[in-house]
Amino acid sequence: MPKIIVKNLQKKFGDLEVLKDINLEVEEGEVVCVIGPSGSGKSTMLRCLNGLEVATSGSIVVDGHEITDPKVDIDLVRRNIGMVFQQFNLFPFMTVKKNVTFAPVKLGLMSQEEADKKADELLDRVGMLDKADAYPRQLSGGQQQRVAIARALEMNPDVMLFDEPTSALDPEMVGEVLRVMEKLASEGMTMVVVTHEMGFAKQVSDRTIFIDGGVVVEEGPPEEVFNHPKNERTQNFLNMVLQ
Amino acid sequence: MSFFELLSQSWPRLLQGLGVTLESTLISLVLAAILGLLFGMLSVSRAVGARAVARVYVDIIRGTPIIVQAFFIYFGITSALNFRMEPMTAGIITLTLNAGAYLAEIFRGGIESVDKGQMEAARSLGLSHGVAMRSVILPQAVRTMVPAIVNQCIITLKDSSILSVIGMAELTQIGSLIIADNLESFKVWIIVGVMYFIIIMILSTISKRIEKRLKADA
Repeated sequence: MPKIIVKNLQKKFGDLEVLKDINLEVEEGEVVCVIGPSGSGKSTMLRCLNGLEVATSGSIVVDGHEITDPKVDIDLVRRNIGMVFQQFNLFPFMTVKKNVTFAPVKLGLMSQEEADKKADELLDRVGMLDKADAYPRQLSGGQQQRVAIARALEMNPDVMLFDEPTSALDPEMVGEVLRVMEKLASEGMTMVVVTHEMGFAKQVSDRTIFIDGGVVVEEGPPEEVFNHPKNERTQNFLNMVLQ
Repeated sequence: MSFFELLSQSWPRLLQGLGVTLESTLISLVLAAILGLLFGMLSVSRAVGARAVARVYVDIIRGTPIIVQAFFIYFGITSALNFRMEPMTAGIITLTLNAGAYLAEIFRGGIESVDKGQMEAARSLGLSHGVAMRSVILPQAVRTMVPAIVNQCIITLKDSSILSVIGMAELTQIGSLIIADNLESFKVWIIVGVMYFIIIMILSTISKRIEKRLKADA
């Protein structure tokens, strides 16, 4: 069974219909990149996947849990869905290590010792172990984002969602974050990545989805979507961003 | 009567008045903090009804003078329900309800000043709304609220002088009583004014120190 199943997802903000009729499946271990112009609804779609935005209609099933069921314990489901934000959103009054260990300890999923041990491993993996005792404001954007990835991974998620993880970074820091994500992808993590990094989508994704105007306009293996786009809107978009 | 004669003569009564001022202010502020936090949380709640309740409370208090509130509580409520209330009790209730509304607004503003991404990040890790609010949002909100809270403490201290109108024996009331005895209006009000001023300067200095320390931490 696919890890994520989205059926007829519609999302309105007041009268504005941001998502019209999204259908999507993501298999276990698959890396899906979502591209599209600003305002196309791609971030909203991602945020619906862990219930940060509540779908207006349609159904979303992640890991066998129906997110769109009003009776679902969304907090429980979210434990298995890691999310990385454009603005990192680290907790500014906690050290790097505390940021990583805070949630699982607070939720009683791990003892502080277990969480610390796992945090050390994860921070080492993202190359941030030497900054474990630093505060977020002492770190560069790229470093903060790598910590945010470690924080999400500490919960042992089955799925990772990335919402334009490199859009707020200075250009020289984009690479370090993408490399961490690439490693994660190669280790078999199920990932949905909303991104403007076409190079990353092309190289790392198993499937690329182009969203425009609240609908999936085109999807397929990245080499097809990027090299032989069938839809005119995809062609125009790619011409503009790849010029 | 010379200034120093007057001062030494009335000093014990003035100190007593100052004591009542500080006591009523302190008790009111502690109760108001609880009330303010409660209504502050209601006003950022997702439930429309809770927000409306908080809105009505804050609007009523902000929309009426504190002297009317004091009269309403001390004379109005007691006569409608036919019982007696000590001026001190009525005074503390008035100050509490009044400061509570302003503190609720300060708490609401502080909570809303925290970036929305903080709540989203906490929720995305599986923390409930309540836990995220208490352990992620409030610690950040409090830092931004400290100057406004101290300011409200100073305002409440000064507002306590208004309670002389219902006969609460605080500093201003004692000042009036001393003048009734000796008619030294000019000198007595200078002394009373200086006493308020010194207490408020002490509060301001403490507040500046706290602000500085929070800035160093943040």
